[in-house]
Amino acid sequence: MKLASNEFLQASSAALLEEDKAQRRSLIGQFLPLARDAAASAYGDFDALRAHMKRVRRHTMTHLSHYLEQFEEAAVQHGNQVHFVANAEQLNSKVLSICQAHNARRVAKGKSMVTEETGLNELLLKAGLDVLETDLGEYIIQQAGETPSHIVGPALHKSLAEIRQLFLDKHKLGDRELETVSEVVEEARGVLREQFLAADVGIIGANALIAEHGTSMLVTNEGNGDLCANLPPVLIVCTTFERVLPRAEDAMALQRLLVRSATGQPQTCYTSFYTGPRREDDVDGPLETHIILLDNRRSDILASDYSEMLDCIRCGACLNHCPIYIGVGGHAYGWVYPGPMGSVLTPLLTSLEQAHHLPNACTSCGRCAEVCPANIPLPDLLRDLRQDESVQQLKPARWRNGLRLHAWLLRHPGLYRSLTGWTISVLGLLGKRRGAFRRLPFAGGWTGQRDVPAPEGGGTFMRQYAARRRRGGKRG
Amino acid sequence: MAESVRAELFARLREQETAVEPEQIALALAALGHAEPARTPHADVHTAFLANVLANKGTVELARDRGAAVQAIGRYLYQRFRTHKLVAGNDPRLAAMPWRDGGVLPRFGAAENGDSAALSYARLGVAETGAIVTYTGRANPGRNNLLPEDHLVLINREDVVATLEDAWARIRHDTAASGWPRGIQFIAGPSSTADVEAQLVMGAHGPRRWHVILVGDTPAEVLAQASEGVRAPS
Amino acid sequence: MDKPHPKRKRSRQRRDVALMVTCLADLMRPSVGFSAIRLLERAGCRVTVPEQQTCCGQPAYNSGEVDAAVPVARAVIEAFEPFDYVVVPSGSCAGMLSHHYPALFEGEWHQRALALSAKTWELTRFLTEVARLPAPRHKPLESAVTYHDSCAALRELGVHQQPRQLLQEQCGVQVSELSQNQVCCGFGGTFCARMPEISAKMADDKLDNAVASGATIVAAGDLGCLLHLSGRARRRGLKLEFRHVAELLAGDPRGPGIGEGRE
Repeated sequence: MKLASNEFLQASSAALLEEDKAQRRSLIGQFLPLARDAAASAYGDFDALRAHMKRVRRHTMTHLSHYLEQFEEAAVQHGNQVHFVANAEQLNSKVLSICQAHNARRVAKGKSMVTEETGLNELLLKAGLDVLETDLGEYIIQQAGETPSHIVGPALHKSLAEIRQLFLDKHKLGDRELETVSEVVEEARGVLREQFLAADVGIIGANALIAEHGTSMLVTNEGNGDLCANLPPVLIVCTTFERVLPRAEDAMALQRLLVRSATGQPQTCYTSFYTGPRREDDVDGPLETHIILLDNRRSDILASDYSEMLDCIRCGACLNHCPIYIGVGGHAYGWVYPGPMGSVLTPLLTSLEQAHHLPNACTSCGRCAEVCPANIPLPDLLRDLRQDESVQQLKPARWRNGLRLHAWLLRHPGLYRSLTGWTISVLGLLGKRRGAFRRLPFAGGWTGQRDVPAPEGGGTFMRQYAARRRRGGKRG
Repeated sequence: MAESVRAELFARLREQETAVEPEQIALALAALGHAEPARTPHADVHTAFLANVLANKGTVELARDRGAAVQAIGRYLYQRFRTHKLVAGNDPRLAAMPWRDGGVLPRFGAAENGDSAALSYARLGVAETGAIVTYTGRANPGRNNLLPEDHLVLINREDVVATLEDAWARIRHDTAASGWPRGIQFIAGPSSTADVEAQLVMGAHGPRRWHVILVGDTPAEVLAQASEGVRAPS
Repeated sequence: MDKPHPKRKRSRQRRDVALMVTCLADLMRPSVGFSAIRLLERAGCRVTVPEQQTCCGQPAYNSGEVDAAVPVARAVIEAFEPFDYVVVPSGSCAGMLSHHYPALFEGEWHQRALALSAKTWELTRFLTEVARLPAPRHKPLESAVTYHDSCAALRELGVHQQPRQLLQEQCGVQVSELSQNQVCCGFGGTFCARMPEISAKMADDKLDNAVASGATIVAAGDLGCLLHLSGRARRRGLKLEFRHVAELLAGDPRGPGIGEGRE
């Protein structure tokens, strides 16, 4: 997918002006955190569950080569073909070559952020394949020629009216009305059912890989991924190597965290474990299955100080709880992954140079870390990225110099006090009547949107306090 | 290409790891234990299971034995579709049911597009999540859970387990002899979506309705208790 | 979030408290510092204001200029380590000292940072959990008050109920809660100037909720949030009064609210 993260400032300004969309985002920001909280407390000790998962993940990552090998061995034993690919191009061309080997014409795709990351659809479509996204949200944005605005609900930015118009245009509906959400869903069901039945290849992602059995876990509500995995004669699972977990029970712990954090459900309608092609006893299912394990810089991340980011389970809770994501929406982030997780992942998976605004789109409010089911210290990682930004000299020099000069001054209290004492006294006098300034030199960043409250008057605290002590009066 | 990518990845991983004997890794893993299951609305597993099926927007019914189950299925099909037709996998348990007594005409095999109702005999029910579990195979082709308008499920009382961990213990036990199935599906409700304006709609791609019949000697109070306090479908 | 409770000294013995004024109170709102001193003294503490203090170094730290923040942190540790308690009228600065300083260092300085962390308290938490205030001497407050929890106070320090309890006990005020009171106001230090439009949108959400709460006074424990919110409220022409919680607790505040003139 094309990277436009460096346009974050312009894109977010534009997004703030879209009233209708802003209102829908604001509802997401109010409703989903409530649903998540209710589900987490109904579970029991959710924090203990998070801590358990963290231990399992640390153990797995410490012995990743062992578990990855175990997974591969079991998967191959079950008849899968396992492919390791280093980058987006390799994944895309692998998928294309599998499709071409089967003379495939139609492809049914389940929701997969990994293939969004690699821009798979574009390549397959260019090669003349009829590729349809089958997750309803993904289908809608595919029809609209857009990208996901949310990693769980990709089309939540669109209104019913927009989707209705889109379907009327694309489906050539004649006199069908599509006035309700149910009618829209029904319309898509009809189109997609046909694709499931006719598809030559199904492509899905995986929420976890289970080393013990060479199995991949797929979690959905719609069941579209299951249709992709059961109907077409060829199945391709596109995922990344670090999704591996040792045991089925570990995948269950992950599932408990994932669904509650994502939608506030206690479980999704479908949680499925697919292990390979058709067996002797099977009357349906794919005849050939491939598992493609993408790296795309994840092994770099694993070796870096950002390795905890690989614990992310793509639940979207950090998006729903982030006031900046809720304010500007997913598209402003300019790539596949938005919100706090995206602001960490995008620079790591692409480059900081191309995405250095994202780690700054954060007030360090800590709400994301508070709810992250994987206990990823997102605000700390974002701060570390801001440090890298500074080291790589990507931020505006006046910011960097200003902050460093300020920090230097802080270590020279005498100088600091005489400078601030004088300035504050003057500003206090100037602002005494109105109490605030509409404009001040060097404060454009502040005064574009707000007044500057004037200092209270009487000079700085330290000056007043020193004066009171000199007078020998009361301390307070 | 793939081979060198694989080798390179493993080399990078091993470079960072301290080599540990597999036995020791296994011990460390065992020491991690398992997660706690979710709290359930009732202590009794059958009540909890039924309550969670209802919360998952399923419908439930009790059937004392296979005869009663056939009757229940017959009534359901007639009320929903004014039909006696049903598709079901080649499960010996299903083949042996007294279908004629309930006026049901099952077709045994894989579901096709356009089938209104499919019946599965679940391997397991999970009280923690209100899910039923099926394995793909002749007895229950994977598509039977997915293609029909309505998905009917029979589940024996003794096959309802408390937690997801209990379910996996049973799955391991069941498949020790028969081999690991191609697909293991945990199903907890009709196919649903909230992708349009966050409104929940049933029948996104798969079944619009999901009807679970608990087979065995279950007191009627269990169902009454399970129904209490379950949110009305929104 | 939970810090080991320091040993309580016998109640007659006065606690030796160092006040970290914070740079914003020093420059913009000295009455927060004086109010904090009054409150601490009323709670039986001996208050010192170490002269070497300037600022905790957060602007540089949060903006990624971590190496510039390290010497600032060292100076703060040196200035405050002689005291039994360090009390800060700001969740954000208290959080910087107690949560982030230890992460800046290794070895001896790490130990010193940990020691400082263990005795650093946000003002309202200190006044509810360590040194209790006696019954109030001033009149109950008659205005309706809402309270904005700063993110650092709420999530790094577990401060939520404490200021509400104090406002109830000292001012006879039941806080009119903001809806979405867990959500950041959009200040975020340098964030508010680097991404001013998003920051203003977040302030607007907060201000709209404040107006909806029916309160006339918006109280908070952090001046950063207050300056940002009051500045935005001024720009929008909203009639809300902004006060640091210490001002309210210390007694009937007579001077103008934050960002208000003396007209």
